[in-house]
Amino acid sequence: MSVAEIGKWAATIKISWNKLLSYKLNLLLLVIGPSVVFFFVKYSLWTAIFQLEGIEQLQGYNLPDMLKYQGWTLIVALLGQGYNSMNLAEDIRLGRISAFLVYPFGFWSFQTASFIAFECLQLFTAGITLGALFTLQIVTDLSLVALVAGLLFSILVSFFWYQTSYLIGLMAFWLEETWVLRVMFLTISQFFSGAVMPLEVYPEYLQKLLMWTPFPYLTYAPVKIFMGEYRGDIWQGAGILSFWLGVAVLLSLAVWRRGLRLYTAAGM
Amino acid sequence: MLKTIKRYWGVYTRFLSTCFAAASTYRLHFLLLIIMDQLFYFSMLGSVDFLYNHVSKIGPWNRNEFMFFIAFILAVDHLHMSFVSESFWEFAFDIRTGRLDFVLLRPLNTIFSVFARQIRPATLINFVTPWGFLIYYGRQMQLDLVSWVSLFPMVLFSLVLLTSIEILVSMLMFWTVEAMGINFLRIQVQSLSRWPEFIYRGFANKLFTVGFPILLVGSAPVYFLLDHGRWLWVLAAVGALVVTWGLIGVFWQKGLKAYESASS
Repeated sequence: MSVAEIGKWAATIKISWNKLLSYKLNLLLLVIGPSVVFFFVKYSLWTAIFQLEGIEQLQGYNLPDMLKYQGWTLIVALLGQGYNSMNLAEDIRLGRISAFLVYPFGFWSFQTASFIAFECLQLFTAGITLGALFTLQIVTDLSLVALVAGLLFSILVSFFWYQTSYLIGLMAFWLEETWVLRVMFLTISQFFSGAVMPLEVYPEYLQKLLMWTPFPYLTYAPVKIFMGEYRGDIWQGAGILSFWLGVAVLLSLAVWRRGLRLYTAAGM
Repeated sequence: MLKTIKRYWGVYTRFLSTCFAAASTYRLHFLLLIIMDQLFYFSMLGSVDFLYNHVSKIGPWNRNEFMFFIAFILAVDHLHMSFVSESFWEFAFDIRTGRLDFVLLRPLNTIFSVFARQIRPATLINFVTPWGFLIYYGRQMQLDLVSWVSLFPMVLFSLVLLTSIEILVSMLMFWTVEAMGINFLRIQVQSLSRWPEFIYRGFANKLFTVGFPILLVGSAPVYFLLDHGRWLWVLAAVGALVVTWGLIGVFWQKGLKAYESASS
């Protein structure tokens, strides 16, 4: 990568950073709000399950363990699940991507630079949230090794999440709306990734089946790594997720090339 | 009065026919919407079902009672997604682009024009899952005649209460530059209401049943359907509905004053 190219990336990241911070309330409601409310619902639900029934253990989790799991789920959600490429479909449909076709900075590069800016911001948000969870003693026993490993894994998750969102956005070359696909992906991944409840709570056949998919690596694996309780091989987990990330990249390239053939300057 | 109802019904049937015409144009989108809704229904039911593989009760409810509640919420959600949801996204767009000007000029009640305009036919025809589960778990609960007769009116009442609270929340769009976040806030309000009030403890419970009564949407009617002695919950929900509409009246007027057409 040349110096000029690095300059373009840096400038785009800076502009995107400023743009994100221009609408702070929107960012709060769009990105942080849903994760926090989701955590609050799960916190309430699990507290009710354990306290109202007087349950000591559920699939190896006591109440503090379960709340700790949910606390780390919040951190992973903040780090891993961006909303970038949300307007990509509109950009394609209305012909706004025409400008990128003549710019000396590609469409994917622009989107990815924007995503990096967003991710930097999320690192701060997740840091502050972790501080709050630690103060409230929901998250305890922090270990530096687990923290670094979990953070790196979560960043990998965020790239996978971004690339999948980008791929979904590109479907606008053929579809009127792509938000439906995005919601479907979110629903499936929340349900199968262990975001609502740890995978140990799921029936055994489903747990085995899920290991063949990328879903457990989107929430369950990074949460367990942060907790220092991941029983599998972290490198293997990262390898599987990288494989799926590669698939998403290749599919995006193919879809972009085919989609561009259909595209007219006026949009779709 | 009858003339007004007839007129508004006439307008609403036009809204319906244009939405059906638009939906039939984009067939793949139509199909995807059906799949999306099914995924949502089964993920909600599946989550609770998996939980009950490990516990016999959550709070005062066994599996059938909790599943009945979830099925009730899904039925409300089905009507909400079919008849209301889409309009909130359009409202945000209308305010941002100044398109609300044209809605204000229509010889119709503006709130009706804004929030009853968009209908989603794909979700509408997707009724079998939520309503089928509601009837199935109603039978499992051996509901009495009063409960069966009041089941559909109660779902409708919940829909009205939920929509009213959401309209109140969406009034905030008049004061924000980018309204997407408010719509996300509205969705979070919805997600809070999808669980029974007893799972929220202490201050949160008081806040969301009295201060901002979103937990009454599902809990009040279901409590009544399962035990008619708990009719006070429904009365409280009616009170909440009246207060909400009072607030909508106030904030709608204030919002219109703050609205600056396309530059807002």
